[in-house]
Amino acid sequence: MTLLRIDQVSRTFPARAGNAPTRALEPTTLDVGDNDFVTILGPSGCGKSTLLRIIAGLDRPTSGRVTLDGREVTGPGADRGMVFQSYTLFPWLTVRENIAFGLRERGATQAERHEIADAFIRRVGLSGFENHWPKQLSGGMQQRTAIARALANDPKILLLDEPFGALDNQTRALMQEMLLGIWERDQKTVLFVTHDIEEAIFLGSRVIVMSARPGRIKAEIAVDLPHPRSYKIKTTPEFVALKERLVEEIRTEALKVAEQA
Amino acid sequence: MRPLEPTTSRQRAAYGLAFFVLFVALWSWATFGGHVSKTFLANPLTMVQEGYELLARQGFLFDIGMTIWRVIGGFALAAVIAVPIGVLMGAYKPVEAFLEPFVSFARYLPASAFIPLLILWAGIGELQKLLVIFIGAVFQIILMVAVTVGATRRDLVEAAYTLGAGDSGIIRRVLLPSAAPEIAEILRLVLGWAWTYVIVAELIGSSSGIGHMITDSQALLNTGQIIFGIIVIGLIGLISDFLFKAFNAWLFPWKLA
Repeated sequence: MTLLRIDQVSRTFPARAGNAPTRALEPTTLDVGDNDFVTILGPSGCGKSTLLRIIAGLDRPTSGRVTLDGREVTGPGADRGMVFQSYTLFPWLTVRENIAFGLRERGATQAERHEIADAFIRRVGLSGFENHWPKQLSGGMQQRTAIARALANDPKILLLDEPFGALDNQTRALMQEMLLGIWERDQKTVLFVTHDIEEAIFLGSRVIVMSARPGRIKAEIAVDLPHPRSYKIKTTPEFVALKERLVEEIRTEALKVAEQA
Repeated sequence: MRPLEPTTSRQRAAYGLAFFVLFVALWSWATFGGHVSKTFLANPLTMVQEGYELLARQGFLFDIGMTIWRVIGGFALAAVIAVPIGVLMGAYKPVEAFLEPFVSFARYLPASAFIPLLILWAGIGELQKLLVIFIGAVFQIILMVAVTVGATRRDLVEAAYTLGAGDSGIIRRVLLPSAAPEIAEILRLVLGWAWTYVIVAELIGSSSGIGHMITDSQALLNTGQIIFGIIVIGLIGLISDFLFKAFNAWLFPWKLA
């Protein structure tokens, strides 16, 4: 039973060059259970990425604590896989070697690494590209490799920070289906940050809406759409109703950001 | 011609060659035409004759060999010591804070000014020549490697951490491979400078090497030999540069892909 517990976590960036300290994240509390797919939705600058980085252990909270299965998070580790918005494949490693990076760090033999990496290559539909360099791949293929790389490590929870943010609309839709397919099949605990409303509903079992800076949880909306979901669900009345509701929630926040600027 | 418009590789080669032709033509015009006195500048033909004389009768190949060995020896010594220090400085900020001010200062100490001191310390043997090149190269390499390693993409480092890499894993599997092509480029650049230092080292208190031949020729006012010596240095530099580039391309195929 995996449980990620975010307990009163806040983050304030210290004052710099005469500017006042920036409160990025108000004390936030959230539990993510086993095999949950939670999407965090918010306007840019709402601290959603900060929260994810704190869970990953790449940033420290100013107050509060994050625990995974009862153990406090004090730094990054292989139990929390992360996929970034920017392309972070290692350019000097091939697709297969990138996916096997974590396995190699753990001391898996070459045969094991090959076997596991190739299984994930098939899973994300990159067969035939095992020996390509990241430079030779499109943006969508790079992010698929990055997802495979995180999954190959078999983390307890997968953290995704707007992984499809830089992709075009069509590619993005295909990537969402691929990710959802993997989740429906393998049942992983996933925390997915996005500013795309449709993406948040389509993927998530729950959508956490965050307010503009300083970020805090504004609403939590359960998405009771059945699985497996296909892209066609995006035009059903239930989906559209959810979307309408979230559009309102997000719009007020976006307006606040616009006024602050 | 339009700004930034590419040329074909054939055009490139033709233009590159054209400059050499123009250069030799101007040189011939100045010397054969009698516009410059023979005492100051030999004509191309004399230069070739003198070059043949040097190679065939005066054992110039031995001098070339000596110079190459000194450059490679001093440079390799500097690289072996400087690269690890540079990597440590780039990776660990306290190490950088400790060494950076001194290295920045030492980098500006002119290697050629150390020659009298080095003669005093190490005599006029091979060690002194190697040390001149070592001093000229080591601080430059340290500093440039440190900057390169320190500029490793943070998101790659973070990605490696989330994949379970520890600190030594970060250095071995992220910082080093990420900086390696740049480090190879730095070494190629500094090797070029090492050639300057070796000639200066050979000009003073030396009994062999290209620089020594050049001083000897100066005493005899043999400008043909001097120019031949300079051209040989240029050619060796060009060849080593080409080899280094080809080696780097072979070593880092992911850069070209």
